[in-house]
Amino acid sequence: MTELPPANLPFLFAAFAVVWVVFFIYAAYMSWRRQSVQRELDDMRRSGASSSERILGDAPNDDGV
Amino acid sequence: MAAIAGQQRGKASRKATYRDPRIWMLLLAAALTLVDGYLIFMVAPTDLVLGHIQRIFYIHVPISILSFLGFLLCAIAGVGYLIRRTERWDRLAHASAEVGVVFVTLALVTGVIWARPVWGVWWTWEPRLTTTLILWFIYVAYLMIRNYAPTPQQGRTWSAVVGIIGFVDVPIVYYSVQWWRSIHPVQVIGPEAADDALEPIMARILVFSLVAMLTLFAYLLMERMALRGAEDALSQLRREGNSD
Repeated sequence: MTELPPANLPFLFAAFAVVWVVFFIYAAYMSWRRQSVQRELDDMRRSGASSSERILGDAPNDDGV
Repeated sequence: MAAIAGQQRGKASRKATYRDPRIWMLLLAAALTLVDGYLIFMVAPTDLVLGHIQRIFYIHVPISILSFLGFLLCAIAGVGYLIRRTERWDRLAHASAEVGVVFVTLALVTGVIWARPVWGVWWTWEPRLTTTLILWFIYVAYLMIRNYAPTPQQGRTWSAVVGIIGFVDVPIVYYSVQWWRSIHPVQVIGPEAADDALEPIMARILVFSLVAMLTLFAYLLMERMALRGAEDALSQLRREGNSD
């Protein structure tokens, strides 16, 4: 009967663990960063829209009032 | 009234999430990865010479191939950017280079972990490892050029040139095991692979791993491009805010 070589399981586990941890951290970082940028974008757009509304509200209308 | 508006916004947001192709790609990648794990650990035969450590090969080889795909996309998008000068090409080039760097880093790390029990050393300056390390340096330099160039415009142009020239190293990495015969195993996939390089069951599981990793690669690329799009929109708004 052929004897199998040493299993080297810690090395096997380490390789798979490193791969999945790195992929998970990279994907989670991108998702978190995109949500944070998106929130900032939405805030800026809202504040931009409300300040234009204020400017339009202060501006005289067609009748000059 | 405000509560109804909030509910409607929540419903619209959930609908937008379901329509987002990235979510579906992530779910597909997760499902294929689970099946792949089962195939690698429960179905693939144990190598009689190397033992269980040989199973690293089922992730090491697809990760290496997909890093080449990332750099190929980067080079193609770099050419597209130099011709058209549009944001879309630059976004693709940037995203594919970054995802490519993540993949080639993991290819190096899994290779090093495999080398220790099999070759008895963590690292040796043999041609495949050395040319892969050079590839890693080229595309890390690509990402640094983007960040440290005097202007964003120069960063895009210079990095496009580096991305195109840097791709020359990819075929050198692939053929290195033939040009300079060394201790690294020869190709098991691609134009230079022998027909009987692998047992049929091993070859099928390798192809499945490649497909699973490809979906993950596609998800990461889409997510990185979406992030870059949001970052560009934010800088644009800031510029407009400063100019007012």
